Amino acid sequence: MPLGRLDRPVRTPGLERTLVSTSPVSSTSDKVVATPPRRPTSADIELLAFAQSAELSARDLYEQAVAAGAGGDQVASLVALGAHHDAYAQSLSALLGTDAPRERNDVLFSALTTGFGPDTESMALAAHGLENTLVVTHTDLLGLLEGTEGAALVASILIGESRHCAAMAALAGKSPVSDIDLFLKTSEVDSLAPKA
Amino acid sequence: MTMSDFNRDELRRALRDTADHRRDALGPIVEATRGLNFTRSLSRRRFFIAGGATVSFAALVAACGGSESAGIARLGDAPTPNKLVEADVTDIALLRTATSLEHNAIFVYEAVARAGVLSGDAAEIAKRFLDDHRSHAEATASLTTGLGGTAYSKPNPRLQSIYIDPALTLILGDEETGVPATDDPAADVLALAYALETIAGATYQAYVPLLDDKSLRAAAMGIGDQEARHAALLGVVLNPGRLVSSMGLPIAAEYQEDTDSPAAAYASPSAFGTQAPVPVTLGAPGETGTRTTVNLETPSLNSMIYEYLDNEG
Repeated sequence: MPLGRLDRPVRTPGLERTLVSTSPVSSTSDKVVATPPRRPTSADIELLAFAQSAELSARDLYEQAVAAGAGGDQVASLVALGAHHDAYAQSLSALLGTDAPRERNDVLFSALTTGFGPDTESMALAAHGLENTLVVTHTDLLGLLEGTEGAALVASILIGESRHCAAMAALAGKSPVSDIDLFLKTSEVDSLAPKA
Repeated sequence: MTMSDFNRDELRRALRDTADHRRDALGPIVEATRGLNFTRSLSRRRFFIAGGATVSFAALVAACGGSESAGIARLGDAPTPNKLVEADVTDIALLRTATSLEHNAIFVYEAVARAGVLSGDAAEIAKRFLDDHRSHAEATASLTTGLGGTAYSKPNPRLQSIYIDPALTLILGDEETGVPATDDPAADVLALAYALETIAGATYQAYVPLLDDKSLRAAAMGIGDQEARHAALLGVVLNPGRLVSSMGLPIAAEYQEDTDSPAAAYASPSAFGTQAPVPVTLGAPGETGTRTTVNLETPSLNSMIYEYLDNEG
């Protein structure tokens, strides 16, 4: 991508803005890769719609746990996590427009609902599993999404959910030293991402 | 100077000479175009007459200029412009930059270990992070060579010079330049590590829309996920009383924090991964009692490890 061809600005932090060519192909060494589209493709829309339903399920699960009395002195953190997942769903709506489902994934919600009860420790472990599942799912989605706008949004959601995993390990009373893998490693969970 | 300083006779002579000069110069044009009606097309003969007169006038004007150069007047010699290198933001350049950032992190954790700043749990966490960054550097280097590029194996020189070296100097002190060591080196190292890990995660996030190959996006965020978890773990250590920030969230007042300014660290500081600068306050207080704040940022275009740099000294 020659920097001299400056017709598609892409936001990056720092001193300048990165400007990327919209030329139809770009070369990475001897491998030629088509320049990806910005907007979601029709296949992307299905994947992003799935992601929104999963986020709404997560929001409802956190709200259920708070309503049940979970959280202890970290109840405000649980309320904030519910708001995070709602924000993810709203951002996906902004990208998808009328294609956004705006309803939760009932299968996912039903599968996890019993874990989001009043006991803070067990609820935090269930939430840790949920956040790990979402991280794995979003990582898989990034390998499937064509459009860069959808990929950028999913990447920013993924970073937020990675941090949720560590927060929930701490809320479950786990040690950042002796239980460090619970904080740092993506647990062995199955991705929910639809297959390509 | 006043009008009386002029010699009136000299002034009159000068005006007369100017009028004669103008008449001499414009005469051929006036003569050649006499009787022409410019609203109609010119005959071929008159066209050449007018054209010749115009060329003569242009030559006269040029001669009156009295300058040897037709260019704009200037003082001194302009340097010969150097042609800029065409630096392409390829997937290889992005991966090499990511590798360089991993080596910045490795440098920090190795320097801290050598200085013996951390002990106990903090030292164990730092050792784990060091191992993880070595694995990440290997992974990004492998992806680089897989694309046909040359893997980079050193810290990013620009980030090292503007962030890492100054930060370590503030923490460890420097007798030569008279910078005192900080009062609490362990706390400062953890604060620096929190900022560094946050920026590392943000860098991989920033690269997702820039990578052409979508399989690389997933691979990059597999590492970005790890960096974000490093930062979150440090957020737990530094601020165990509030795991998730409420700043900017539309939640009920009873769940909001009691302060208008966010804490320096959280396990989860915001809903989305951001690419904003991460401020970190380090070092001993100065004469006014204030400490230095360093704003860490993700690598920008002038910090990228382009392939052409390998051929430069």
